[in-house]
Amino acid sequence: MRRFLLRYLIPRFLQFLTIIFVGITVTFIIPRLAPTNPVEAQISMMMARGESLDPQSIASMRAALTDMYGLSGSPLQQYFAFWGRLFRGDVGPSLANFPTPVSEMIGQAMPYTLSLLVTAVIISWIFGNLFGALSSYYPKNKALSLIEVLGQAVRPIPYYIVAIVLLVVFAYFIPIFPFSGAYPVGTHPSWSLAFIWIYIKHSVLPAATLVLVGFGGWFIGMKSLTSNIISEDYVVYAETAGLKKSRILNYYIMRNALLPQLTGLAMSLGTVFSGALIMEVVFGFPGLGMLTMAAVLRNDYSMIMGIAIYSIVGVAVTVFLMDLIYPLFDPRVRYQ
Amino acid sequence: MALLSVENLSAYYRTEIYGISRTVRAVDGVSFELKPNEIYGVAGESSCGKTTLIKVISGNLKPPLKVNSGSVSYHFGIHAVDMLHISQEELRRDLRWKEISYVMQGSMSVLNPVRKIIRTFEDIVDTHEGIPDKKRFFEQVREHVNRLGLPSEVLTSYPHQLSGGMRQRVAIALATVFHPRLIIADEPTTALDVVVQRGVLQMIKDIQAMSNNTVLLVTHDMAVHANVADRVMIMYAGRIAEEAPTEIIFNAPLHPYTQHLIHSLPMIGERSNKVSLRGAPPNLANPPTGCRFHERCPYVMDICRTEVPELVTVQDGHRVACHLVKENPL
Repeated sequence: MRRFLLRYLIPRFLQFLTIIFVGITVTFIIPRLAPTNPVEAQISMMMARGESLDPQSIASMRAALTDMYGLSGSPLQQYFAFWGRLFRGDVGPSLANFPTPVSEMIGQAMPYTLSLLVTAVIISWIFGNLFGALSSYYPKNKALSLIEVLGQAVRPIPYYIVAIVLLVVFAYFIPIFPFSGAYPVGTHPSWSLAFIWIYIKHSVLPAATLVLVGFGGWFIGMKSLTSNIISEDYVVYAETAGLKKSRILNYYIMRNALLPQLTGLAMSLGTVFSGALIMEVVFGFPGLGMLTMAAVLRNDYSMIMGIAIYSIVGVAVTVFLMDLIYPLFDPRVRYQ
Repeated sequence: MALLSVENLSAYYRTEIYGISRTVRAVDGVSFELKPNEIYGVAGESSCGKTTLIKVISGNLKPPLKVNSGSVSYHFGIHAVDMLHISQEELRRDLRWKEISYVMQGSMSVLNPVRKIIRTFEDIVDTHEGIPDKKRFFEQVREHVNRLGLPSEVLTSYPHQLSGGMRQRVAIALATVFHPRLIIADEPTTALDVVVQRGVLQMIKDIQAMSNNTVLLVTHDMAVHANVADRVMIMYAGRIAEEAPTEIIFNAPLHPYTQHLIHSLPMIGERSNKVSLRGAPPNLANPPTGCRFHERCPYVMDICRTEVPELVTVQDGHRVACHLVKENPL
């Protein structure tokens, strides 16, 4: 156990901290490399709108904006101040929705994105892997071949097209699902059962889009992994020993094929934090993707930085968690 | 009575790709018998049909391998089994592992890397007999493994924690849980160093002596046959070249191929260069006419190029397929 802690856990935890450190530092540096000065840009925008300002108020506004952007002092001072604010959980106020803090807005959007995307990714992962393994183990099964053809046909279609097709079919021609949003206008988000039901109804189509598009990738990945594992000696041996097909499929084939797929799952769960931008826009879903889109359109760059920081932390945390549970699945990692 | 009689067995690999069909005659007209309570060795160079022969007699026929003609019949006490016409389900339920078990080639990698050894035992025992009492099952497996000289710890280990020799022994232990009447061992000592080889061979011998079953030992390593086998069959290009008790094969081989094989073995104190046989084994997709060895045989005669030599019995239990022997009987 001590060896596991020293040789496995602690190096990975350090790696986790390093990723966050480097990622956030880069997020700090990149906007500062831009040739434009956000303070001047803001002021000239106001001037261009024809607002009449006397030089004194311009000067005080410049000072206030510089402070708000965290641009006062030397770069090193700015950097330490930036970390200091981060540790207090403060990413600054949103510029477009001044003075609402960025963290509050992200906090509101996050549950929508996370619940939708995590569910969708996990569902497509489970079904893709299950059917991929089955279709490779039973290559002559007609139903499985049909599923494969359908999955592969949908996979290359951009998901906004799939989304629009689903909307046209299931919201317009057969109106069983709502068109857009996560809840109807006038409803207040709460933790009541009624609201959750409404929310689920609104997220079926976006989730279905992601599942349909993601399914083919997992399917084909699992199929190729499985077809390699089927010819491994231990599978041939299990067959020779007369083991039941279900047992071979479960414990010998899928169990071994799942290992690389788990890594893949961690990767796609990591990307969930930045939201599925286009999908959220198509469905008018109030998640992180929508927030990013609005921030980009309105030049709200403290919001963009905030979202970037959240997704860096999100990716790092999922990868770290996956590292923690991976040894449960692969004994060879456990006894390194 | 013989435990297994194989008669005139031919098994071919038939493939058809883009309309071009190809037939590889991996086993062609092979007849032999296995007696109860013996170690029977099958020798021959790579791609001479050894593994194909085993696949057929253990009932592991998978396309493109097909049996063309001949019969494979087992006699387990009172009931006889026709291996080529038995249903897969019957084979799986009644014969596999219980009567005929198989130590596969490359046994180092037959163990599932993510399952403990005991789980593999569990899979096999559960499949064939069921495990009503887990504790008793564990006790029995431990006893079995200890009897074969393996420590109990291997059961709770994962395959990657064991050495190659250990894994090979585990594979043999797995093959013998039900004390089958026939153990087929395909190259069990290949890829092991000689010290470990010795241990593995001793284990096979001990098992055979303990339960008086039959071992079919396939390897290209003549030294292994000299140490372990009671009788040896030499295969060449899908046919039997010679079959005799081990001592006769090593002391008085009759077939030119066997003679070369034996003379290629180094002797203690010998300081001469070994002559290598020219050429390579024939392509079995397009085997030569007549005797398949004629292209490489130093004593080749005209008849060898056209006529297939019959397998004749020259002495009790000594059979040779060579025109030379037929012309000059002992």
